[in-house]
Amino acid sequence: MATSSALSVPDQIRQLNDARKLVLGDVKYYPSVVRGILPIIGPTAPIELRRWVTDFLAEAFATPALPNSEKETMQPYVLTTLESLIEHEGDAQVLRNVIQTAASIYPLAMRWIINNSYDTVTWERMVSIKQKILQLWDIVPPTVRICCIKFAQRVVLAQSIASGAEHRYGGGLDVSLDKVPPNHQTLDPRTLEAEASGLLDRMLSILQGNNDGLLVDATLNCLSIMVRTRPATSSRILNALLNFNPLQAANSPLTPKTKVMIKSMEKTARLLLIHLSKRDPHNPIVPRIQQHVEGTMRMVAELFDSAGRKRPLEPKPQDGYDAKRPRIEASQIQIPPLGPGPHSLADVFTLIGNDGLKFFDVSQVPPSLVARIAVNTLSRLDAQVLAKAVDGVRGRLETLNNSPPAELNPNTAPLGVDEDEDDYEPDFYQAEDTEQILNKLDSAPAPAVAEPRISLDDTLGLRSFSLPQPQQLTPEMALNAGNGTVTRVLEMMKSLDEPATKKQKAGFNRLAASSESRDSWMTILARLATRSSAGLEEISVKAEADDSSRPSSLNNGIREILYNYIMEDFRTHIDVAVSWLCEEWYNDKVLQKAGGDHPLYYEKCTLRLIDGFLPYLRPQDKVLTRFLSEIPELNRAILSRVKHMCRDPSVTQLALTSLLYLVIMRPPIKEAALDTVQDIWTDYEDARSMAGRYLTKYRPLFLENATNRENNDSPTPAPAGAAITT
Amino acid sequence: METANGTAAAQNGTPNENGDYKLKFCTVCASNNNRSMEAHLRLSQANYPVISFGTGSLVRLPGPTITQPNVYQFNKTSYDSMYKELEAKDPRLYRNNGILNMLGRNRGVKWGPERWQDWPVGVPRLQHTSDRGSEGTEGGVVDVVFTCEERCWDAVIDDLLNRGSPLNRPVHVINIEIKDNHEEAHIGGQGILDLANSLNAAAAEERGAIGPAAFDSGSAAARASFDERVPEIIAAWQERWPNLPSTWTLAWF
Repeated sequence: MATSSALSVPDQIRQLNDARKLVLGDVKYYPSVVRGILPIIGPTAPIELRRWVTDFLAEAFATPALPNSEKETMQPYVLTTLESLIEHEGDAQVLRNVIQTAASIYPLAMRWIINNSYDTVTWERMVSIKQKILQLWDIVPPTVRICCIKFAQRVVLAQSIASGAEHRYGGGLDVSLDKVPPNHQTLDPRTLEAEASGLLDRMLSILQGNNDGLLVDATLNCLSIMVRTRPATSSRILNALLNFNPLQAANSPLTPKTKVMIKSMEKTARLLLIHLSKRDPHNPIVPRIQQHVEGTMRMVAELFDSAGRKRPLEPKPQDGYDAKRPRIEASQIQIPPLGPGPHSLADVFTLIGNDGLKFFDVSQVPPSLVARIAVNTLSRLDAQVLAKAVDGVRGRLETLNNSPPAELNPNTAPLGVDEDEDDYEPDFYQAEDTEQILNKLDSAPAPAVAEPRISLDDTLGLRSFSLPQPQQLTPEMALNAGNGTVTRVLEMMKSLDEPATKKQKAGFNRLAASSESRDSWMTILARLATRSSAGLEEISVKAEADDSSRPSSLNNGIREILYNYIMEDFRTHIDVAVSWLCEEWYNDKVLQKAGGDHPLYYEKCTLRLIDGFLPYLRPQDKVLTRFLSEIPELNRAILSRVKHMCRDPSVTQLALTSLLYLVIMRPPIKEAALDTVQDIWTDYEDARSMAGRYLTKYRPLFLENATNRENNDSPTPAPAGAAITT
Repeated sequence: METANGTAAAQNGTPNENGDYKLKFCTVCASNNNRSMEAHLRLSQANYPVISFGTGSLVRLPGPTITQPNVYQFNKTSYDSMYKELEAKDPRLYRNNGILNMLGRNRGVKWGPERWQDWPVGVPRLQHTSDRGSEGTEGGVVDVVFTCEERCWDAVIDDLLNRGSPLNRPVHVINIEIKDNHEEAHIGGQGILDLANSLNAAAAEERGAIGPAAFDSGSAAARASFDERVPEIIAAWQERWPNLPSTWTLAWF
C-alpha cells in the first residue's frame, strides 16, 4: 500500500491511482484499500493527498457498485478520519469531499446504531460531524455550502417517516425514522424528527430572498425525493416552491450573469414542479402548480423582453407645480350641498367656490393640454381627497334625484316654438345612434349641456363608446391612398441597398416578391402599373391622348412615379426603365392578343422617357446605347428622337454609335436604323463626316447618289434642312 | 459564427495541454448519434474525459421518408452494425444524406449509442477503454453534462430528480440548443468545446489556487470557486455564441 512516507507525493498519488483501478475493477477490495489509505491523511498530510483520499472516500461511499452492507461496516473506522478532517480542514475541496462522504455515510451510520445500539461511540462521532457541518453551513463559500445543503437533505430523509411507497431507492435513501424502534437506547425518534423539521426549514429558507442561483438550484434539485418519499415534508416543500420567486435576483442590475441565474432558477423550479405533478397528478394542488408555473414563466419572459427594450418616454415632471400650490388635505376640503333652485350639470360637479372660474370656457384650452393637466392632477391626487369629492358629488346627485321635479313657471317657461336646436327633438335624434348622441354630448362644451338631462335616469357608469361612421370612401380618396402607398414603397425601396451580385433574371415568369431587394419591389411596382387594371380601361371615345385631360387612374399614377424615379438619376436607373418598359410591352402584347380596344402604353412611355433624358445626355453616356438595345421594341418614331439628338454636335457620335450598334445587333430594326443614319447625313451638316463613314460601309449607293446630287444641284439639300432652321 | 469562434480560441488560449486537471464531461442528445457524438469527438480530441448518451426511447435515424425512420435499440446496436445495415439498404441515399459519414465517424469514437436513463451513475466504466475520451471516466461520474436540446435537458433533470440523488455528488447540467443537422452539430461542437475549455480553465485555477504555490498570494479564500463561477462563465460564453441559447442548473447525482 502507498503508506510509505519515503515516497514523493506524485509517486504516492501514482500508487494510489493504481489502487483505485484495482477497486474499480473489483469492489471487494474496497474495505482493505480504504483501511490501508486512511493512515496517510492526517490533517498534516500534503494537500494533494488529502484531496485525493477524501475524493476516493466520497467515491467509495457513493458508488452503487459496493453493497450498502459493506459500506455500513466500513463507515465506523472512516468516521474518525472524517471527524479530524472536518475539525481542522481549510481547503474547500477537501471539505466538499468530506461533507459528501458524510452525507453518504449518515443513513448508514444511523442504520448501524439502530442495529448495534451498543456502539454509541461511532454514533457520537457521526453526531459530532453533523454538528460541525451544520455549523460550517453559514460560513463556508457557496461551493462547500451546497454540500452542506445536500448533507442536510440526507439527515432530513433519514430522520423523517417514509411513506413506504417507494422502496426501490438505493444508496441509503430508504433509511428513515420509522426504522428506529420506539424504545431505542440512543435514538429518540421525537428529537430526531424535530431536528429534521428544523433542518428542512433551514433548507427551504434558501428559497426565500436568495438570489444566488447556485444555492437555489442545489436546494431545488434535492427536494424531489423528499416530497415523494417523506409525506411529512411534502406540503411544506410545495408551499415553499409556490412561494418561490426566481425574480428575486431581478432587483439587482440585470447583468448577463444574473440573467443566466434567473433563467436557471425559474427553469429548475419549473421542472421540479412539473416533475412532482406528473408523479402525483391527482393531488389537489396540481392546478395551483400549473398556474404558478405559467405565471412565473411569463414574468421571466417579460423581464427578459423588457430588459431589451428602451424605457418608455416619461412625461416631464412639471417643475414647480407642486411648490406653488399648497397641498390639499382631505380634512380641508368641504363639498357644500347644492342650494335651492335649478342647477346645471356644471353646478353639480363644481367643488370650489370661485365664481370667476365658473365662466372659464375649458373648450378654449387645447384638448392635449387638458388631457395632460387631467392626467397629472389625477396621478398626484390624494386618494382621500378624491374619495371625499366623489362622495360629495354623489350626495348632491342623490338629493337632486330625491327632490320633486321643479314646477314650471308659466311666465318663464320656454314656448318650444322658437327654441334652438339644443332642445329635445325625438324625430331628429331618432336617426342617430343613442350612443353617438351621448358622445356628442360628452364633447359639447359644458354650459351647452342643457338642464333637462340632469333628470338622472341613467346611471353614472361608463357607457360604451362607438366610433362615428367613417366618411364615405370616394374614388379620389382611394386613389390618393393608393398613390400614397406606392410612394411609400418607392421610398422604402430607395433605402434598400443593391445586392452586390446581380442574379440572373428569370424573365417575365420570375416571382416579383421572391426577395426583398430593390429589384423585386421595382418589379412589383411595374406590374402594378401595367397589369393591375389591364383590360378594364377602354380607349376613350374622344381619343384624347393627352394625359392631363384623362381621369387619372392608379396605373398612371404609378407610371408617373416610376417616370420620376427614373428621371431622378436616369444613368443608374436605366435598368429600372428597361424592365418597366418590358412590362409595358408585354402587357400591351397580352392585351392585343386578348382582343378589344385597349389603350397601348409601351410606345408612349418609351417616347416620354427618351424625350425626358435625351436633352441631358453627355457624349460619354453609353446608357443610350444600352437603352436602345435593351428595350423590347424599336420603331421609327423612337429612332427619329435619336436623330434629333444630332442637333447637338457633341452627342452626334453617341447617337451614331448607338444606331450602328442597332444595325449590327438588332437585325429587325437594321434598315430603320440605317435610314435614320441616312436622315442624319441629310439633315445635319455637322454630322456628315461621321455618318458618312457608316454609310460608306452599309449604304454606299445612297452616299454616291447623294454626293452626286449635291455636286449637281443646289447646295441646300433635303427639305428636312428647313426643319432645323425653324 | 466563424469570427465568434476565432475570438473564443483567442480567449481560451491553449485548451488543456498544460494543466493536468481535467473536468469530466458528458454530452447528451436525443439519439446519441449526431450532436452528442460530434461534441464527444471534439472534447475527446482536446483530451478531455468524456462520455455520451441519448435521452430518446429509441435511436432514430432518418429513413427514405419522414415517416419511415430507421429505428434501433439503445445499448444493443453498434454504430458499425447500423452502418452496415444502411449501406446494404441504400448506399446512395445514406451516403448523400450524410448518415453513413456520421455512423462512420461514430464507430471510430465508441461502440454504440447509450441511453441516459439506463446509465448506472457511479458504477465503474472499465469496459469502455476503447472509447475515445474514456480515460478519466472510469469512476462512472462526470462533473458537467452538456445537453444539446432543451427537451434532453428536461429529460436529464427529470431523470436525476427521479433517481433521488443517492450519490450526493453535484453536477452542472448545461443545455446548448443545437439544431439536429450536421452543420449545426459541427458549430455546436465547437461551442461546447469552447465552453468546456472555459470551464476547465476555471476549475484548474481553483485546483491550483490553494495548492502550495498559492499560499503566499493570500487571496485564495477571496477567489470564487469553480462552482460559483459557472454562471458567469456561461454568461461570457453566451456573448461569444449568441446563436446557441443555453440553460444551466446545478443538479445532483
